[in-house]
Amino acid sequence: MLRVFALLLLSLSFSLAQLRVVTTYPWIGDIFREVGRDRITLHVIAKPTEDFHFVVPRPTHIAKLRSADLLVINGASLEIGFLPPLLQQSNNPKVQPGRQGFLDLSQFVELIEKPERVSREMGDVHPEGNPHYFLDPHNIPSLASAIVERMCLLDSPNCTYYRSNFEDFQRRWKARLKEWDAGFLQLKGLKVVQYHKTYDYLFRRYGIETVGTLEPLPGIPPTPKHLERLKKEAENKGVKFIVLEAFRKGDRNSQNFANQLGIKVVVLPQDVGIENARDIFSLFDEILRRLSV
Amino acid sequence: MRNTLLILGIFSLSFAQENLQELRRQLEEQRRLIRELEKKIETLEKSQQAKPEVKETTRPSPADRSLQLRSKFEDRLKAYQVSPFKQTAFLPDISFILDFSAVGRNRKDEEYKELKIPRLWHRHDDEHGHGLLNERRGFNLNYGELYLYAPVDPYFDLYATIPFSEDGAKVEEAYAVTRGLPGGFQLKVGKFRSSFGRLNAQHPHAWDFAHQPLPNKVFLGDDGLVEKGIGINWLAPTPFYLLLGAEVLQGENEQSFGYKGFEIEDPNTHNTFKVEDKPVPNLYLGYVKTSFDLGNLSLLAGLSYAQGKHRHAHDDHGLDAKTKLYGLDLTARYQIDSVRYIALQGEYMFRDQDGTEYEFENGGLEQKGVNKKQSGFYAQLVGRFHKQWRAGLRYELINKNDVKVGGNKVSTPDNLPAYYAMIEYSPTEFSRIRLQVGENRAFYENGKRKPVKEVILQFNFAIGAHGAHPF
Repeated sequence: MLRVFALLLLSLSFSLAQLRVVTTYPWIGDIFREVGRDRITLHVIAKPTEDFHFVVPRPTHIAKLRSADLLVINGASLEIGFLPPLLQQSNNPKVQPGRQGFLDLSQFVELIEKPERVSREMGDVHPEGNPHYFLDPHNIPSLASAIVERMCLLDSPNCTYYRSNFEDFQRRWKARLKEWDAGFLQLKGLKVVQYHKTYDYLFRRYGIETVGTLEPLPGIPPTPKHLERLKKEAENKGVKFIVLEAFRKGDRNSQNFANQLGIKVVVLPQDVGIENARDIFSLFDEILRRLSV
Repeated sequence: MRNTLLILGIFSLSFAQENLQELRRQLEEQRRLIRELEKKIETLEKSQQAKPEVKETTRPSPADRSLQLRSKFEDRLKAYQVSPFKQTAFLPDISFILDFSAVGRNRKDEEYKELKIPRLWHRHDDEHGHGLLNERRGFNLNYGELYLYAPVDPYFDLYATIPFSEDGAKVEEAYAVTRGLPGGFQLKVGKFRSSFGRLNAQHPHAWDFAHQPLPNKVFLGDDGLVEKGIGINWLAPTPFYLLLGAEVLQGENEQSFGYKGFEIEDPNTHNTFKVEDKPVPNLYLGYVKTSFDLGNLSLLAGLSYAQGKHRHAHDDHGLDAKTKLYGLDLTARYQIDSVRYIALQGEYMFRDQDGTEYEFENGGLEQKGVNKKQSGFYAQLVGRFHKQWRAGLRYELINKNDVKVGGNKVSTPDNLPAYYAMIEYSPTEFSRIRLQVGENRAFYENGKRKPVKEVILQFNFAIGAHGAHPF
């Protein structure tokens, strides 16, 4: 019996000679799918249906982290509510912060909306700035490049394979980037109200104006008083859409607010794997398509 | 000569050109600075618009002239002070948690203090720290808890939990955990909440109800099983979660484990009887935990076992026994969407105690064999139905309370239930207001059941850097 168990363990630990990757969010996983393809094993912690701030720290993720060679995170405190206890319980020194097996992608982009000072009276603000940086398609190539560099460091025999996949990815991305640039620039001057400042990187790049957020402060659900004030401002400025992340789909506050203004709620995918966003390419396609109606 | 002049001329011209370029660059720099300043002003204006109630932060100058001078001097002193060895960047995460409650109860405090759970629990003199929560009618400052965490170095993390009562503080937990053991091992040394069962390892502010359930109270004590010792766990390299752990602990729990000897005295003859200390460590503990996901449903189950000696005395009688404690826990959490969930959690504990009871009776010492077989469980259903609202129900029951003294069964009540309902409102993760109502039918006085009906309005606040809680 004991021997069978030991054999099982051995087979489990040796059958996976591939680079074992854990990512916190699906979009990071999708970049890995592009560059690592069949030479890696991948586990993604958050589901696209989960609020990216409040992912459930299920113990099954601990089991995946235990054997991981590389953990790649969004960073900028987005994972602070669920990742630290998972990491602490993972008993895996390789993926602890500061080690080679830990990669924080927020280090490779310039974050916006960095507050001068932070206090919890300001709601759920991140001292590092707005963490939803990946929703600017221009940020993706440098993030993918950072990922490939780290993969090469950890798995040098497959480095040329990863690099050539990356070149291929980058070529396709740049081609699509031109289409997106052209498409989104059509939307310049569009005025929207967001639920949360999720799409600020995208909207800032293409001159889409966020008149306000339904949340009075980041992470604080809408209050009647705040909505009343926002309604006036939205009416004055001629807001066209309420933009809602897909994981909040069906939110009554946004629908009521939109009804009062006589405008539409546009549900946008906020990550890969939800609302027709099959991969990181179609994520931006879908956002563009839904905003362009 | 002319050539030299020409060269000089060209030189000066190019120099002027350079100067001009330099000027342009500076101008550009100035413009950039102005733009940045404008941006800053804009954001400042915006933030002021957003929160007009923000107070002026400049300190008013004191009216007293000498005070004014002194503060000026101090400011200047500060400016001149250089701190080449400043270590503020290494400050640990510090947080403070306040738990405050308003309690309504159908028993007076004096009466409540005297209540017992027959053969299972009686009140121990209170210490600082968590102890009994919501103890008095009216307002209770349950605790103010200081929590510290930081990596010690690349090899250890350190955690400390220091709850303060109104009168003093106690080090509830202070332990170091390894960061980099190979092979999926983790070692813990210090004083810590044992991983026995499910609820015991959680801090009171992470509980779903205002106090702990009956089995935890009677078998592990009001502070829980918090001990000095060493713990080791191993995470199996399986695709599902499988954790095996063992702990070697001092064994100083007031309810089930105690190594300290005792001396009892006959109140009439003043004869004494002494039992020596047991060897330490006195408590050995093992557990297995496993978890699976079935779609949006997460299951977590655990088995725990603890064994140790128990020596315990009161006035003229004492107990010297061996305790075996078994625990079974199960948690099932179903995530409806990104916010809403429903979670079922239950724990069962069984205690088997075997030993000798010493008592002075009719002028002589009597020794009787004692055997106790006692068990209880709780089951709770908690749901979050809105980002800020949760509600729950809990049923607790001591279902077995068999006590044999000298081979004869002692008559003890064995149907000891308690039930509670709670609803809570959490404006953010850092504040929580909870209303709990319920009845505890496990308390007795002089052989008569004394049901305790309670209404508790509990407030819990956390400030500072406090880590997220595990599943």
